This record gives sequence, structure tokens and C-alpha cells, in this order.
Amino acid sequence: MTEPVPQLEVRNLRKSYDDGRIEALRGVSLSINAGEYMAISGASGSGKSTLLQLLGGLDKPSSGEVLFQNAALGSVIGLDTYRAHHVGFIFQAFYLLPTLRAIENVQVPMLALPGNGNSRAERAEALLREMGLEHRLYQYPNELSAGERQRVAIARALANHPEILLADEPTGNLDSVNSARIMEILTGIQNQRGMTLIIVTHENEIANAAPRHVRIRDGRIEA
Amino acid sequence: MAYQLSFTGFAWKNLWRRRLRTLLTLGGIAMAIGAFVALVGFSRSFEHEWARLYSSSGTDMVVVEKTFLETSLDERAGTKLSAMPFVEQATPMIFNMMDLTPEINAIVFGWKGNSYDFNSITFLSGKRFEDGKAELILGDTLAGNLEKKTGDTLELQGKAFTVTGIYHGGSALEASAVIMPLDQLQEISSLQGKVSGFHLRLRPAPSGESEDAYLKRVAKAIEAALPGLRAERANDWATKNQFVGLAHAVAWGTSSIALLIGILGIANTMAMSVFERTREIGVLRALGWKSGGVMMLIQAESVVLGLVGGMFGLGVGYGALRLLSRLPETASIVSSSISALDLAEALGIAVLSGLIAGAYPAWRGAHLSPVEALRHD
Repeated sequence: MTEPVPQLEVRNLRKSYDDGRIEALRGVSLSINAGEYMAISGASGSGKSTLLQLLGGLDKPSSGEVLFQNAALGSVIGLDTYRAHHVGFIFQAFYLLPTLRAIENVQVPMLALPGNGNSRAERAEALLREMGLEHRLYQYPNELSAGERQRVAIARALANHPEILLADEPTGNLDSVNSARIMEILTGIQNQRGMTLIIVTHENEIANAAPRHVRIRDGRIEA
Repeated sequence: MAYQLSFTGFAWKNLWRRRLRTLLTLGGIAMAIGAFVALVGFSRSFEHEWARLYSSSGTDMVVVEKTFLETSLDERAGTKLSAMPFVEQATPMIFNMMDLTPEINAIVFGWKGNSYDFNSITFLSGKRFEDGKAELILGDTLAGNLEKKTGDTLELQGKAFTVTGIYHGGSALEASAVIMPLDQLQEISSLQGKVSGFHLRLRPAPSGESEDAYLKRVAKAIEAALPGLRAERANDWATKNQFVGLAHAVAWGTSSIALLIGILGIANTMAMSVFERTREIGVLRALGWKSGGVMMLIQAESVVLGLVGGMFGLGVGYGALRLLSRLPETASIVSSSISALDLAEALGIAVLSGLIAGAYPAWRGAHLSPVEALRHD
């Protein structure tokens, strides 16, 4: 019987900046299966966000490789294609576009792929309803609370039906009530849709609640 | 129906976000396109009026000096031209510009009293002048500007001329011109025996010979018989003569400078916009936008600036043309009409300007590293 192929695999990943003077990652290897929920924690500057960026195809490693379903990112599968079809990003600072209404923000990733305007708008509305924002569809980001903005950002991350959700400190800008709500939504999505959820966090409570917890220290995974 | 976001809608919202800067940029490109429409419209209108000058009188061919239009051609060449078998009528003329008052200058034509060129004008009052007499006739536009009527006098070069008639011309060049006896114009210009050229009416082409071949043959025969002279089809002369050529060159030259400034304005706006939106571009890349998509978005914004600015510019240019067509100084050579083709050309140039101006900012935006862009403050 053959071993199931990991959805994401990282092999001896290194990333350095400033002509090698700063080493953010120093040989990280790990496998992540489809539908897994994993938290990555570590101190500031430990390399956890760099690892998330490489897992999300936002950057290329200095050496080593990231495989998505056994295909190397950046060579077998293009980074743009990977980001457009397979991953959804959630950021600490939400990064909603201020000139667009909530429902328009959710449609932004869909503009990168073929499709008609009406179906894009219908999907955006359905996702926002799923986030409990049916009464905030037409608000601009500055008219929303921080928790609502992050929910719009989650809807946006789901827009292109990704298999993997990557969240970089998704509760970092939220109070405890909204943090709990956002984590409830994220884990709910992961459970219901069978998506892979990878969260970078410095909050122990969130990291420890994840079924799998990887700690990064000085660019390496702690044993 | 849910609220749809289109690619162009997204581009427009990005532009509208900095309203003042967008409006100033639109103003810049509108002025540039307006200058283009007005100046090129002006020069084309000038060319068009030249063509009408000949078509309305039925002139087939113009014989002038080979090098430049000046009043130095021997009037006696007319006898030779009239004797040529294919020439039905040859009429000498002088074409000149003159200051009539400190504010008003006008084209002054010198014609023979029996010239067939009179066929192109309609008398609104009075009658033709007579050769040898200090008389002249005025185009209705010019008469209005000078506030002259039949029976009044007009002083030219220190000599008083009686206005014997007011006419309406077949061309704006005639409507704002003075027409006077050839000999009188020669006298006040100290150009006795000299003319600017001859207008010819030709006999019909022999059967079996095309009009084109016939005109070529006639031109060749005239130039062989009168060395140093040039015979041109009237329509060709209207579009190629030095005055029209100069008007086109000035119009295109000035418009090009205005367009260059407009392009730099858009390029500056787009470059600043890309710089300010660096992190947003990073977000777009993180959300799956390819570098080509980012490039298209920035180019679309730039083209929207060009297109909308160009549309305002059409209005500005048309308004300027209308104004020029009413000013006494320019009414003689400008009509306010502008062809749809010219408008389409101006709009095309506006869009092209947007594309050129947006090229570098778009390239720069598209090649930002997503991670670097996301880190940008």
C-alpha cells in the first residue's frame, strides 16, 4: 500500500536576506496533510512568518523546496497559479482595499480568474452571509469594526475555493471577544470544508488549541 | 442583484480615490487634447478652405512659381497658357496678406474684372469692381468686422478704394477677404506686371483618357512650355501649398509639446499611485493576481485617464475652434466644423498617450516582489 502524498511538504528550507547576512530559516522540513489544522508559533523574528510566506508561494526559498501535492512550487507549478487556485491568505492587518465595499473586496481575488461578474457577486454575497455579515455587504472597510473587517478578509480568502487557508496572526489586531469569534469561524471552516488551516500566532492559547503545533526558534523547528 | 465589481470599475475607483490629483491630471490631458483638436482642426480647416476656394470656382489647375508662392511670376505667361489647346480659361491672380487696421488683417486677392473666379462668389449688395479703378469688394464676414458697406471707402497702402460690393464667398478664405482689381493690387504693392499664379480651367479630357492621366499630361506640357513654373492640380495645391504645410507643421509641433506634457502628467500620477499603493499591489499578488493582471490594472487606470481627459479635451478643442472661427483675426481661415475622423483621431491619441504614460509605472508595479510589497508602509 502506497503512502498518501502530503498536501504540502517542505524539504530543508532555507531563506536568507541581505546577501546571506540574515538567515530567517535554517533548514526547515515538515509535511502537512490535506485537511490538517496546524499552528506555527515562535518569538518575533523567529522565522514563522517567513515560513508561512514560503508555504503560500509569496516568495522563493534561498535553498530547499516546497512541494504542493508532490509538485515543486516555482518550477512544476507557478507561484501565481498556486496562489490564485490553491491558497487563501488572511493577514493580521486585514489589508482590505479602502475604496471598495465589503462585497467588492471579496470579489477582488475572483478578478484574477475567468468568470462572469454576476456569479462573482453572488458568491461574494454568499460568503459574507456565511460570515454573518449580510447586513454589512455594502459598507466600506472604514465603516466596519475590526472583527467585521477580519471576517470580510476571511470571506475574501475563501473566494477562489482554495484547499489551504494561511493566516498570519489573524487575531493580532482584535480584542478577546473578536479573537474568539474569528478562531471559531476559522476552525469551523476547516472542519466543514475539510480545508487545511495553517495559522501563525504568538498567542499560546491559540497555538495550543490546534491539533498540531509547530514551534519555530531561530529559523529552526524546535523538537 | 448583488453589487458587481468589474475590472474597469476597480480601475476607476482607484483613480477616484485621489480625486484632486485625478482631476488635475484629467485637466492636463484635456488641455493637451484640446490644443491638439483646436490646432490640428485649425490647420485642417485652413486646408479645407483652400480646397473649397478652387472647387467653388471650378479651377482645375494652378500654375505657380516652382519654388515658393510669391508674386514674382511674369503676367505675360498667361498669354502662353491661354493659347494651349487644353486650356479653356487662364486667369491671373495675386494672393497677399495685408493689415487693414491695426487689429484686422486679411487675405487680399487681385483678380481681373472678367475673371471666372467671380463664379465662386455671390453678391449680397453692389457689383463687381472695374479694372483700372480704385475699387474693391469685401467678403461679408470681413465687411461685418470692418463695419463697411457698399459705397464706403477703405484705405489700403495710403490709397482710398471704393467698396463696390459685398459678397458671400464659397470658402471662408473668400468670405473674409478683400478682392480688388489685379492692376490696382500690383500698383499698391509695387509689383507691376507680376502675379502670384494662374488659375486654369481645362477643356474636358479626351474620350478614352482618364482624368488622372489627362491632368498629369497637361501639367507636364505646361511645365515643359514654361520652365521654372509648376502646374499642380487645384486640389493637390490646396492641400500641399506652403501655407497649409506651415499651418500643419505648427499645429502638430505645438500639439506634440502639449501632448508630451499631458503624457508626463499621467506618468507622474500613475508612478505616484503605484508607489502609494505598493502594499495593495502586494495584497493583490497574494490574492492570486498575476503580474500581468497588475500591469493591466495600472495600464487600465492610465488609459481611463487618457480617455476621460481626451473626451473633455474634445469639448475644449471644439470650443476653442468655435471661438477662433468668430474672432476677426482668425475667422478668415477657420471654420468651426471638425470631422468625426479628426475627433476619433484625437481620442485615439488620448488613449495612446495613456498607454505610453502608464507603461513604466505598470511595469514597475507588476514586478514588485509580493513579500516586499506587503512589507511596504
